Amino acid sequence: MTAAPGQPARSVLACGEVRTCLLPSVQALDARAAAQLLRLRADEHVRVSERPSMYALSPEILTGVDCRLPASNGTKVRGVGTVAARAVLTEGRLLQSTAYFSLPATGPDMRRPWGQYLVRPGLVEPFGKLPQQATADGVLRGAGRGELDLGMISEGLLAQLRRHALLDRRVPFKSSPTRLRWVARRVPAGERASLANFTVAEGGLRTMELRLPEGIPAASAAGLCEDLALHDWLLTTVQHMLDNNRIGAIDGPSVVEALHPVVVHLLHLWMPRAHVDPALSHLWDVLEDKPGFSRQWENLSRRIRDRLALQAVAMPHQALSTS
Amino acid sequence: MLIFAASDKGGTGRSVTSANLAYHRALAGDDVCYLDFDFGSPTAAAVFDVADARQATEDRGLHAYLTGEVSEPARIDVWSETEHQVLRYPPPGCGRLVLMPGDVSGGEFATSDDNLRRCVDLLMTLYYEFDLVVVDLSAGRSYAVDMALEATAQPEMRDVTARWLVFHRWTRQHVAAAASLVFGKRGIVAGGADRGHDEAALRNSIRFVRAAVPDPESPLWSQVSPTQSAWMRKADGDLKQLASTHGIGYSQVLGSVPLEPVLQWREQLITDEDVLDSQIANEATWEALRQLSVRLTDDKYWEEA
Repeated sequence: MTAAPGQPARSVLACGEVRTCLLPSVQALDARAAAQLLRLRADEHVRVSERPSMYALSPEILTGVDCRLPASNGTKVRGVGTVAARAVLTEGRLLQSTAYFSLPATGPDMRRPWGQYLVRPGLVEPFGKLPQQATADGVLRGAGRGELDLGMISEGLLAQLRRHALLDRRVPFKSSPTRLRWVARRVPAGERASLANFTVAEGGLRTMELRLPEGIPAASAAGLCEDLALHDWLLTTVQHMLDNNRIGAIDGPSVVEALHPVVVHLLHLWMPRAHVDPALSHLWDVLEDKPGFSRQWENLSRRIRDRLALQAVAMPHQALSTS
Repeated sequence: MLIFAASDKGGTGRSVTSANLAYHRALAGDDVCYLDFDFGSPTAAAVFDVADARQATEDRGLHAYLTGEVSEPARIDVWSETEHQVLRYPPPGCGRLVLMPGDVSGGEFATSDDNLRRCVDLLMTLYYEFDLVVVDLSAGRSYAVDMALEATAQPEMRDVTARWLVFHRWTRQHVAAAASLVFGKRGIVAGGADRGHDEAALRNSIRFVRAAVPDPESPLWSQVSPTQSAWMRKADGDLKQLASTHGIGYSQVLGSVPLEPVLQWREQLITDEDVLDSQIANEATWEALRQLSVRLTDDKYWEEA
C-alpha cells in the first residue's frame, strides 16, 4: 500500500470477534454507571443512548500488533498495525467486547515507523500480498500459537471490565459467555451488503461471513455482529435454562424461583437492530426468515409465561384446599 | 461454588472421587467444570475417558494458560468427547460437564503475580458460568495448593464460596498426614492465614473425605477367620479414635467412600450401569458418592462445629 499517511487504505477484508456475557453485578447499571464503566479512554466520551433501549458504547482502544496473520493453510504472512477494541453494555445488563481490524490486499515489504500505523487505527498491513481466503478461514477457525489472536484481545478487554470497582462481582444467575467470530469481504460500493453464512458451533462459538460494500465502515459491521451476538446469547442462555431438568421436571414454587431471573433480567432485552447501522439492518431479515430468531424468542418467552401462569393458577387452589 | 480437592499423599482417591462427585452433580442438573490442577501427573482425562480429546488439546491446558502461553485454557465437553459407552448418552436435562485438562509436560511452578492474576481471572470467569467448579490440586503442600490459597485470598474473590475437601485413606499414616496437611505448622490453615484468609472461616470451609474405607461388616470379608475379623473391628475403632484426637473426627468428615473393587483396579467414573446392569460396582459406592455430592452444597454439613 502506498497511501499517504492519514489517507485511509483501501481494505479488502475486515474481521473481528465479539464476546458476550452477563455483567457480574446484581443490579443492572444505569446510564451514568454504564458511562463510567466503559470509559476506556480519558480523551473520548462514552456514547450512551437510552431510546429505544439503553445502549452504551465505549471509545475504541488500540492494540499494536506485529505477528503472523491467522491462516488456515499454514501460509506465513506477517502483519503489522493496530487492532481496534471496544465494549458495549446493553440495558446495563449484557456486556460485550469486540476486537476487529481491516486488511488491505497488499502491504509494503518492510516495517514502517509506528507513527504511520497509528494514523490508520484498526488497520493491519500484511507484508506483501494477502492470502485472502486463507486468512478469512484462519480467523474463523481461531488463531493458532503465535498468530494474531482476536479472542485474546477481546477477552482481555472483557476481563479488565469485569474487574472494575463499580461491579459487585455477583451474578443473578449462572450463564455461559459466547464468542462470535466474523469476517467481512469488501464488495464494490453500491452493492448491497449480504450475509453469506451464520453457524452455531459447540462451546458457545458462532461464526459469520458477510459481504460489505466499500464505504460502510468496519465499525458498522462490528455493531451488527454485536447485535446478532447479543440476541443469539439470549436465545442460547434461556434455552439452556429451560432444557435443564431443574426446570423441566419440577413443579411448585421452585419453578418460580428458577424462572425468576429470566423474567427480571432477560425478557425485556429482546430488541433486534435497535442500534444497527441502517445500511446493514436488512441483514437481520435473513436470520428472521431462517432460522427465525424472533420466532424462537417469542416461543421461549411464551413458554416461560405459561409455566408461571400455571403455577399461579395452582396456588389459590392449594391455599383453599388447605384452609 | 468452588470446591478444592486436596490430599497429603498420592493414591488417596482424590482425583477419582472428586471426578465422580462432579459427574453426580452434572447428572443432577448442575453445570459443572472440573479443573485438573494436578500439575505433573494429570489423570482427569483418563477418569473421564477423553484421551483423544486431551491429545488434541495438548499444550493448551491449564498449565499453558497459567504461564501465559495461551490466552484461554482448552475445554473438553465430556458428554460429547468421551469414549465411554455410558457417558456418551447423558440423560436429558442433565447439566454441562466440562473438563479443563492439565498439560502432560507441565510440572510444578512457583506462583508469580502474573499467573496469580490469570488464576483469579479464570476462577471468577468459571464462577460466573458454572454452578459448581471442582479444582483437583496436586498432592501435598504443593504449588497448586499455594496458588488456590493465594487466589481465594484476593479481595475480588471475597464473596465467592470456596470449600475444601481433603481426601485421605483409612490408615494410621494417612489419617495423621491429612491432619498435618490441614492443621500442621505449614498446613493449609496456617498458609491461608498468612495470605490473609480469616483463619476460623477457612478452617470451617474444610472437610475430610475418607476414601477406600474397608467396612468390617462388608461381604467382602465374610470369608476371613474370626481372629482376623476381631482384629479388623479393633483396628477400625482405633482409627476412629486416632482421627478424633487429630481433630478430624466425625464432625469434620463430609463422608466416606467404601472400598470399591472397581476403583482399586481402574480410576473411572462409577455409572448407574456399572451398579445396576453389569453389577461390577457396589451400590453402596454409588450411594456414598451421590450423598457426598449432595452434601457439597448442603449448608447443614458446613455449619460451625
